[in-house]
Amino acid sequence: MTENKFSKLSKNYKLSISNPKFFDAVKMFISILIALAITFVILCLVSSDPVNAIITILTGPLTKTRYIGAVIESFIPYAFAGLAAGVLFSAGAFNLGAEGIYILSGAVVTAIAINPVSTSPVLHPVLCFLGAMAFGGIMMILPSFLKAKFGTNEMVVSLMLNSIYAGIAAYVVRTFLGTLKRGGNSSKDYLATARIGYLYEPLRISACFIVLIAVTIILYLVMKKSRLGYQIRLAGTNPRFAEYSGISAFKLAISTAAIAGVLSGMGAATALLTQTSFYTPSQSLVGIGFSGMLLSMLGRNNPIGIIIAAFMIKYLEQGTAILYFVDKSVPSEIVAVVEGIVIMLISSQHFLRKFREKQLLKEGLEEHVE
Amino acid sequence: MWSSVFSTLFTMRFLQAIIRLATPIVFAALGAFTAASTGIGNIAIESIMTFSALAGVLGSYLFNNAWLGVICGLAIGILTALLITFFSMKLGADAFLIMIALNTFADSVAIFILYQLTGDKGTTASLATPILYTLDIPIIKDIPILGEILSGQYILTYICWLLVIIMFIVIYKTPLGMRMRACGLNADAAKTAGINVERLQVLSLVLSGVFAALGGVYLSLNYLKIFSKGMVSGQGWMGVAANGISNGNYWTLILSGVIFAVFRAVSIIFSSNSAFPTDLVGAIPYFSVFVILTAASIINYYRIKRGKIEEH
Repeated sequence: MTENKFSKLSKNYKLSISNPKFFDAVKMFISILIALAITFVILCLVSSDPVNAIITILTGPLTKTRYIGAVIESFIPYAFAGLAAGVLFSAGAFNLGAEGIYILSGAVVTAIAINPVSTSPVLHPVLCFLGAMAFGGIMMILPSFLKAKFGTNEMVVSLMLNSIYAGIAAYVVRTFLGTLKRGGNSSKDYLATARIGYLYEPLRISACFIVLIAVTIILYLVMKKSRLGYQIRLAGTNPRFAEYSGISAFKLAISTAAIAGVLSGMGAATALLTQTSFYTPSQSLVGIGFSGMLLSMLGRNNPIGIIIAAFMIKYLEQGTAILYFVDKSVPSEIVAVVEGIVIMLISSQHFLRKFREKQLLKEGLEEHVE
Repeated sequence: MWSSVFSTLFTMRFLQAIIRLATPIVFAALGAFTAASTGIGNIAIESIMTFSALAGVLGSYLFNNAWLGVICGLAIGILTALLITFFSMKLGADAFLIMIALNTFADSVAIFILYQLTGDKGTTASLATPILYTLDIPIIKDIPILGEILSGQYILTYICWLLVIIMFIVIYKTPLGMRMRACGLNADAAKTAGINVERLQVLSLVLSGVFAALGGVYLSLNYLKIFSKGMVSGQGWMGVAANGISNGNYWTLILSGVIFAVFRAVSIIFSSNSAFPTDLVGAIPYFSVFVILTAASIINYYRIKRGKIEEH
């Protein structure tokens, strides 16, 4: 009996192509290698010293604690965006509204952070977080509600809302929260009590980092072990079956959107309260929500995969930023090329399929001979 | 402040502006519709427009000929469409994910290429690019009011409206169009009837790429005369929205494209008047898309509920 169990266990962790999880890892690895190879080719075309360039990109951030600290600090909001997109994509919802929610909840965070609502350096940031989370959660529901109720194209609606929210945030910050300093586009400075300090200064680890880890673990457990998570994944993989087994598609759409909105609000708060001391709607949070979708695809909607992906992408961006100091011919946008290639390859189901089938056949034959 | 706005509305220049602004949106709408006719939701229109706009300017600069620039733009549009079909049909990726990914890194890739070639991350203003011209139509030009509006537009605008008519004939009046729509309505039935569904879907996606590319080169070689970062600014998505509103009806598609252009023109008039908050005024076109799309789907929902039309 125990032997049987053991053999079953070892089969699950077998390092062979026949194990789908191992195959996924191999595929990911090969995709990254291909992406890096293509990046190298591009570097050969644009840079005078491509070998040094790729080494700088890959190892540059490790050369100074300051650099790795910058990665740790900057990847947190992106990771939250990735988690938000991951929840929505797992449910098969193509609500791309995280970008707008980030920018709009940025205004909420700012409104709370510039007013003396609390003198406690703990309570004040917490209030900023709660405000952004509540607001983000509610605003994210709109496209998903319209989709679930009336069948409106949520992708187009959420993209239009992104632009509308960006306009509203810019207007609100300029008119109600603004200052004439910095060209009139930014908010007043945050109060010192609202800002989040570092727990470990050299690596720039703040409470936000701990919050991110906690949220990721909770989200992982919810998605993999809880009833809600199972329903979400079922609705994502087979919506019809989910409907027939009595899962309310409407409730599920609303709750996933709310979770994603709360996560986006958190992400906006982490970005603003640690990295800046004021808010500029046209700059501060732009692009994070969209990057989140790519991270979610890289991490295959798995919360832990997503934060690893976020860290890796920010690491590469830091590497290119370091490279840019010495070699002005390579802008940081090259990371988008790497990202794009990896995403396209790993989302391809048939990529390496022939190779896998050959391996499976070989293994099957070997077992047969034995 | 309102009087100055109203005095600009309903003038000749306003109508001219609508026609100018409608061109890229109608191109995008045609692209979305063509792909949707065989059952593929092409949401990569926005990114194809971005790539083609850049390729158009660069091609025009390189060959010192605007028409060769257009051809470069078209080639990139077709290549992007083929890339999508390669990943979704050959490699079995989810086409939606591929297109979302394309849209999300389109700007970065365009900026990367731009920076390599011009050393500038924002625009191609530093490149002396030959651009396409406006066209005076001989007889219409001399008609008093109509002539002013219809004549002297950019050449791609005329091509756009010509294509609107051609595509109507192709999709609704030719066997090819019938087959394409058959794929969109029921791919399995079409397959049973001996139609090569995959080939038609590739064809429609490529055509869709061509239309999106024309929209892109219109922006960079006709309308703005340069490529600049974020220049497509949701016009591709307006085309996708127009397709969503049309519900398979061709003339509703074109009409919604034109209506979006009207709101863009209104937004431009308001933003030239400093009495209005520029941030909010800039969002008018997007707000109009949001309202019209939502309204259309709500109306559709109640029509299905009352049993007036069948659900697809």
